[in-house]
Amino acid sequence: MPAALDISAYPPDGMEVRLIERFTTLKGRRILEVGCGDGRLTFQYAPTAREVLAFDPDRASIEDALDEQAALGVSNVDFRVGSIEHLPARGAPFDIALFSWSL
Amino acid sequence: MVHALRRAGQRLRPGGRLISIRPHETQLPLVSVITPSRRIPVARLTTPGFDDRQSAADAALERVVAEGRFARNGIRNHRYRSLLDNPSQLRTYLELIIPPRPRFPSGRRAQLLDLWRSSPRGSKIEIAEWIVLTALRRR
Repeated sequence: MPAALDISAYPPDGMEVRLIERFTTLKGRRILEVGCGDGRLTFQYAPTAREVLAFDPDRASIEDALDEQAALGVSNVDFRVGSIEHLPARGAPFDIALFSWSL
Repeated sequence: MVHALRRAGQRLRPGGRLISIRPHETQLPLVSVITPSRRIPVARLTTPGFDDRQSAADAALERVVAEGRFARNGIRNHRYRSLLDNPSQLRTYLELIIPPRPRFPSGRRAQLLDLWRSSPRGSKIEIAEWIVLTALRRR
């Protein structure tokens, strides 16, 4: 059986997190991720974050993220379909807003 | 974009960080053939509509700083490289990118294939890409 191809057009796992942490720690933070897609980056930093609200307008991507979340047993991420314009202006403040390939 | 940044600012605590990760505006993806003895650059990939989008993103970040909602915290550029075994994997790589996808300039894909066919065993195709991280601090 041929080996599965491991091809990604995105940076290697961990690279973006290391770069972000040159500006601010993610550990214990409450994070808002805008344009999370299928959670590719979310699952890299979620284990150290306190809480994550991650959303994306693409329903299929969010469904993929939810499947992955269930498989990984990640409990501190709230994935939602939508855009930041629909986020209520008031609410508990976040420590970090992350626009991951979405601006 | 400005509206999205303003809304993010409304939900950030004072001192909180807004971080944007994007492809670099001017350092376009570079495709090279890597033989056992040398690196041969073949093409920089272009993405239709990309320049307008990147300029708008830059303008939006500048705007929220000018409005006084955020202060600049820093900017970092970074390069990463992917090594592919053959042109078929390059096709897969490009198809994985969410549209709009980068494209070869006219004639350069054929040039790559010609070069690949004449490359020694063990050669690879390299794609070097650049990203830019912009960090703003909520005032």
